[in-house]
Amino acid sequence: MKEITAIIRRDKLPETKQALEELGYPSLTIQSVDGRGKQKGAMCAEMDSEMPESFCTSARLKPTPSTYALEHTLPKVALYVPKRLLTVIVPDDVVTKIVKSLISVNRTGKHGDGKIFVSPVTAAVRIRTGEEDGEAIA
Amino acid sequence: MKMIRAFIRPEKEQEVVLALEGAGFPSVSKMPVFGRGKQKGLQVGPVHYDELPKTLLMIVVDDEDERKVIDLIQTKAKTGFIGDGKIFVSPVDSAYTVRTGEAGL
Repeated sequence: MKEITAIIRRDKLPETKQALEELGYPSLTIQSVDGRGKQKGAMCAEMDSEMPESFCTSARLKPTPSTYALEHTLPKVALYVPKRLLTVIVPDDVVTKIVKSLISVNRTGKHGDGKIFVSPVTAAVRIRTGEEDGEAIA
Repeated sequence: MKMIRAFIRPEKEQEVVLALEGAGFPSVSKMPVFGRGKQKGLQVGPVHYDELPKTLLMIVVDDEDERKVIDLIQTKAKTGFIGDGKIFVSPVDSAYTVRTGEAGL
Protein backbone atom coordinates (compact mmCIF):
# COMPACT_ATOMS: atom_id res chain seq x y z
CA MET A 1 0.00 0.00 0.00
CA LYS A 2 1.07 3.53 -0.65
CA GLU A 3 -0.09 6.83 0.73
CA ILE A 4 -0.41 9.56 -1.88
CA THR A 5 -0.33 13.04 -0.37
CA ALA A 6 -1.27 15.75 -2.85
CA ILE A 7 -1.14 19.46 -2.10
CA ILE A 8 -3.30 21.16 -4.71
CA ARG A 9 -5.10 24.39 -5.55
CA ARG A 10 -8.33 24.86 -3.64
CA ASP A 11 -10.46 25.36 -6.76
CA LYS A 12 -9.24 22.10 -8.33
CA LEU A 13 -10.73 19.91 -5.61
CA PRO A 14 -14.06 19.02 -7.32
CA GLU A 15 -12.31 18.00 -10.54
CA THR A 16 -9.75 15.96 -8.62
CA LYS A 17 -12.46 14.15 -6.69
CA GLN A 18 -14.25 13.42 -9.96
CA ALA A 19 -11.06 12.06 -11.53
CA LEU A 20 -10.35 9.77 -8.55
CA GLU A 21 -13.94 8.53 -8.64
CA GLU A 22 -13.62 7.65 -12.31
CA LEU A 23 -10.46 5.66 -11.59
CA GLY A 24 -12.35 3.69 -8.96
CA TYR A 25 -10.62 5.06 -5.87
CA PRO A 26 -13.15 7.47 -4.39
CA SER A 27 -11.97 7.31 -0.76
CA LEU A 28 -9.88 10.24 0.32
CA THR A 29 -9.17 12.59 3.22
CA ILE A 30 -9.19 16.34 2.63
CA GLN A 31 -7.53 18.96 4.79
CA SER A 32 -7.30 22.71 4.53
CA VAL A 33 -3.68 23.76 4.88
CA ASP A 34 -1.59 26.86 4.41
CA GLY A 35 1.55 26.30 2.45
CA ARG A 36 4.51 27.85 0.78
CA GLY A 37 6.94 26.53 -1.78
CA LYS A 38 10.06 27.70 -3.58
CA GLN A 39 8.39 31.09 -4.25
CA LYS A 40 8.02 31.56 -0.47
CA GLY A 41 4.28 32.24 -0.61
CA ALA A 42 4.46 34.85 -3.40
CA MET A 43 1.41 36.94 -4.31
CA CYS A 44 -0.73 35.47 -7.04
CA ALA A 45 -0.21 38.51 -9.29
CA GLU A 46 3.49 37.70 -9.34
CA MET A 47 2.74 34.10 -10.10
CA ASP A 48 0.41 34.91 -12.96
CA SER A 49 0.18 38.36 -14.53
CA GLU A 50 -2.91 37.39 -16.55
CA MET A 51 -4.95 36.59 -13.50
CA PRO A 52 -7.88 39.01 -13.10
CA GLU A 53 -7.55 41.65 -10.36
CA SER A 54 -10.63 40.35 -8.55
CA PHE A 55 -8.91 37.01 -8.02
CA CYS A 56 -5.96 38.59 -6.27
CA THR A 57 -8.05 40.72 -3.94
CA SER A 58 -10.29 37.86 -2.86
CA ALA A 59 -9.26 36.37 0.45
CA ARG A 60 -9.47 32.92 -1.11
CA LEU A 61 -6.24 33.26 -3.04
CA LYS A 62 -4.41 35.94 -1.11
CA PRO A 63 -1.37 34.80 0.85
CA THR A 64 -1.80 35.47 4.53
CA PRO A 65 0.70 36.01 7.30
CA SER A 66 0.09 33.85 10.36
CA THR A 67 -2.08 35.20 13.16
CA TYR A 68 0.96 35.44 15.40
CA ALA A 69 2.75 37.65 12.87
CA LEU A 70 -0.29 39.92 12.56
CA GLU A 71 -0.57 40.35 16.33
CA HIS A 72 3.10 41.09 16.84
CA THR A 73 3.89 43.17 13.70
CA LEU A 74 7.12 41.35 12.99
CA PRO A 75 9.73 43.00 10.72
CA LYS A 76 9.62 39.98 8.42
CA VAL A 77 6.73 37.55 8.21
CA ALA A 78 6.31 34.24 6.47
CA LEU A 79 3.46 34.25 3.94
CA TYR A 80 1.25 31.28 3.13
CA VAL A 81 -1.07 30.44 0.28
CA PRO A 82 -4.22 28.50 1.18
CA LYS A 83 -4.17 24.98 -0.30
CA ARG A 84 -5.98 21.65 -0.05
CA LEU A 85 -4.15 18.58 1.14
CA LEU A 86 -5.53 15.24 -0.08
CA THR A 87 -4.53 11.88 1.35
CA VAL A 88 -5.36 8.73 -0.61
CA ILE A 89 -4.30 5.21 0.38
CA VAL A 90 -4.07 2.90 -2.65
CA PRO A 91 -2.57 -0.48 -3.61
CA ASP A 92 0.98 -0.44 -5.01
CA ASP A 93 0.08 -1.26 -8.62
CA VAL A 94 -2.17 1.75 -9.26
CA VAL A 95 0.12 4.43 -7.82
CA THR A 96 1.50 5.52 -11.20
CA LYS A 97 -1.96 5.69 -12.74
CA ILE A 98 -3.32 7.85 -9.93
CA VAL A 99 -0.30 10.15 -9.81
CA LYS A 100 -0.56 10.70 -13.58
CA SER A 101 -4.25 11.46 -13.32
CA LEU A 102 -3.69 13.87 -10.39
CA ILE A 103 -1.02 15.69 -12.38
CA SER A 104 -3.11 16.00 -15.53
CA VAL A 105 -6.16 17.28 -13.63
CA ASN A 106 -4.32 19.78 -11.45
CA ARG A 107 -1.81 21.15 -13.91
CA THR A 108 -2.32 24.76 -15.00
CA GLY A 109 1.34 25.42 -15.84
CA LYS A 110 1.60 28.27 -13.33
CA HIS A 111 3.58 28.29 -10.10
CA GLY A 112 1.55 27.00 -7.20
CA ASP A 113 0.09 23.90 -8.82
CA GLY A 114 1.30 21.88 -5.88
CA LYS A 115 3.25 18.75 -5.04
CA ILE A 116 2.50 15.05 -4.81
CA PHE A 117 4.29 12.76 -2.38
CA VAL A 118 4.16 8.97 -2.36
CA SER A 119 5.11 7.17 0.85
CA PRO A 120 4.81 3.57 2.05
CA VAL A 121 2.06 2.41 4.45
CA THR A 122 2.81 -0.72 6.44
CA ALA A 123 -0.62 -1.55 7.85
CA ALA A 124 -4.29 -0.67 7.50
CA VAL A 125 -7.32 -1.75 9.49
CA ARG A 126 -11.00 -1.14 8.79
CA ILE A 127 -12.43 -0.30 12.19
CA ARG A 128 -15.98 -1.51 11.48
CA THR A 129 -15.02 -5.07 10.56
CA GLY A 130 -11.41 -5.46 11.68
CA GLU A 131 -10.29 -6.34 8.13
CA GLU A 132 -6.61 -5.75 7.60
CA ASP A 133 -4.29 -4.41 4.91
CA GLY A 134 -5.50 -4.99 1.32
CA GLU A 135 -9.09 -5.74 2.30
CA ALA A 136 -9.25 -2.67 4.51
CA ILE A 137 -8.70 -0.26 1.64
CA ALA A 138 -10.64 -2.19 -1.02
CA MET B 1 13.29 11.56 0.68
CA LYS B 2 11.85 12.04 4.13
CA MET B 3 8.66 13.68 5.34
CA ILE B 4 9.21 15.62 8.54
CA ARG B 5 6.13 16.37 10.62
CA ALA B 6 6.74 18.75 13.48
CA PHE B 7 4.15 19.53 16.13
CA ILE B 8 5.25 22.86 17.59
CA ARG B 9 3.92 25.74 19.65
CA PRO B 10 1.82 28.04 17.42
CA GLU B 11 3.79 31.09 18.60
CA LYS B 12 7.07 29.48 17.49
CA GLU B 13 5.88 28.82 13.94
CA GLN B 14 7.15 32.09 12.42
CA GLU B 15 10.56 31.69 14.00
CA VAL B 16 10.92 28.11 12.78
CA VAL B 17 9.67 28.81 9.25
CA LEU B 18 11.92 31.84 8.78
CA ALA B 19 14.92 29.91 10.09
CA LEU B 20 14.16 27.09 7.64
CA GLU B 21 13.85 29.63 4.84
CA GLY B 22 17.25 31.05 5.79
CA ALA B 23 18.77 27.57 5.69
CA GLY B 24 17.40 26.97 2.19
CA PHE B 25 14.18 25.08 2.95
CA PRO B 26 11.42 27.57 2.09
CA SER B 27 8.75 24.96 1.30
CA VAL B 28 6.45 23.96 4.13
CA SER B 29 2.78 23.18 4.74
CA LYS B 30 1.23 24.11 8.04
CA MET B 31 -2.05 23.25 9.67
CA PRO B 32 -3.55 23.95 13.04
CA VAL B 33 -4.10 20.84 15.15
CA PHE B 34 -5.26 20.02 18.67
CA GLY B 35 -3.57 17.33 20.68
CA ARG B 36 -2.19 16.16 23.94
CA GLY B 37 0.94 14.39 25.04
CA LYS B 38 2.35 12.41 27.91
CA GLN B 39 1.05 14.88 30.47
CA LYS B 40 -2.54 14.24 29.26
CA GLY B 41 -3.17 17.89 28.59
CA LEU B 42 -2.69 20.72 31.01
CA GLN B 43 -3.93 21.29 34.56
CA VAL B 44 -4.26 24.92 35.59
CA GLY B 45 -5.73 25.02 39.08
CA PRO B 46 -9.16 23.40 38.89
CA VAL B 47 -9.33 23.68 35.08
CA HIS B 48 -8.14 20.79 32.95
CA TYR B 49 -7.30 21.35 29.28
CA ASP B 50 -7.41 18.00 27.52
CA GLU B 51 -6.44 19.15 24.03
CA LEU B 52 -3.97 21.94 23.44
CA PRO B 53 -3.56 23.90 20.22
CA LYS B 54 -0.40 23.16 18.24
CA THR B 55 0.81 23.90 14.73
CA LEU B 56 1.74 20.99 12.50
CA LEU B 57 4.50 21.75 10.01
CA MET B 58 4.98 19.29 7.16
CA ILE B 59 8.24 19.40 5.22
CA VAL B 60 9.63 16.95 2.67
CA VAL B 61 13.42 16.99 2.31
CA ASP B 62 16.16 14.91 0.75
CA ASP B 63 17.69 12.22 2.96
CA GLU B 64 20.94 14.10 3.53
CA ASP B 65 19.14 17.23 4.78
CA GLU B 66 17.02 15.34 7.31
CA ARG B 67 19.33 15.80 10.29
CA LYS B 68 19.91 19.47 9.52
CA VAL B 69 16.20 20.30 9.36
CA ILE B 70 15.40 18.34 12.52
CA ASP B 71 18.18 20.10 14.44
CA LEU B 72 17.00 23.48 13.17
CA ILE B 73 13.37 22.88 14.18
CA GLN B 74 14.49 21.51 17.52
CA THR B 75 16.65 24.50 18.43
CA LYS B 76 14.15 27.09 17.21
CA ALA B 77 10.99 25.54 18.67
CA LYS B 78 12.57 24.82 22.04
CA THR B 79 11.53 26.72 25.14
CA GLY B 80 12.54 24.06 27.67
CA PHE B 81 9.03 23.75 29.11
CA ILE B 82 6.59 20.88 28.73
CA GLY B 83 4.56 21.21 25.53
CA ASP B 84 7.31 22.09 23.07
CA GLY B 85 6.07 19.36 20.75
CA LYS B 86 7.35 16.40 18.81
CA ILE B 87 9.00 15.74 15.47
CA PHE B 88 8.18 12.66 13.40
CA VAL B 89 10.04 11.50 10.30
CA SER B 90 8.60 9.07 7.76
CA PRO B 91 9.90 7.78 4.41
CA VAL B 92 8.70 9.19 1.08
CA ASP B 93 9.25 7.07 -2.05
CA SER B 94 8.78 9.76 -4.65
CA ALA B 95 7.67 13.35 -5.13
CA TYR B 96 6.19 15.10 -8.16
CA THR B 97 5.77 18.74 -9.09
CA VAL B 98 2.27 19.13 -10.54
CA ARG B 99 3.17 22.11 -12.75
CA THR B 100 5.86 20.22 -14.67
CA GLY B 101 5.00 16.61 -13.85
CA GLU B 102 8.67 16.02 -13.03
CA ALA B 103 9.72 13.62 -10.33
CA GLY B 104 11.84 14.99 -7.50
CA LEU B 105 11.57 17.86 -5.07
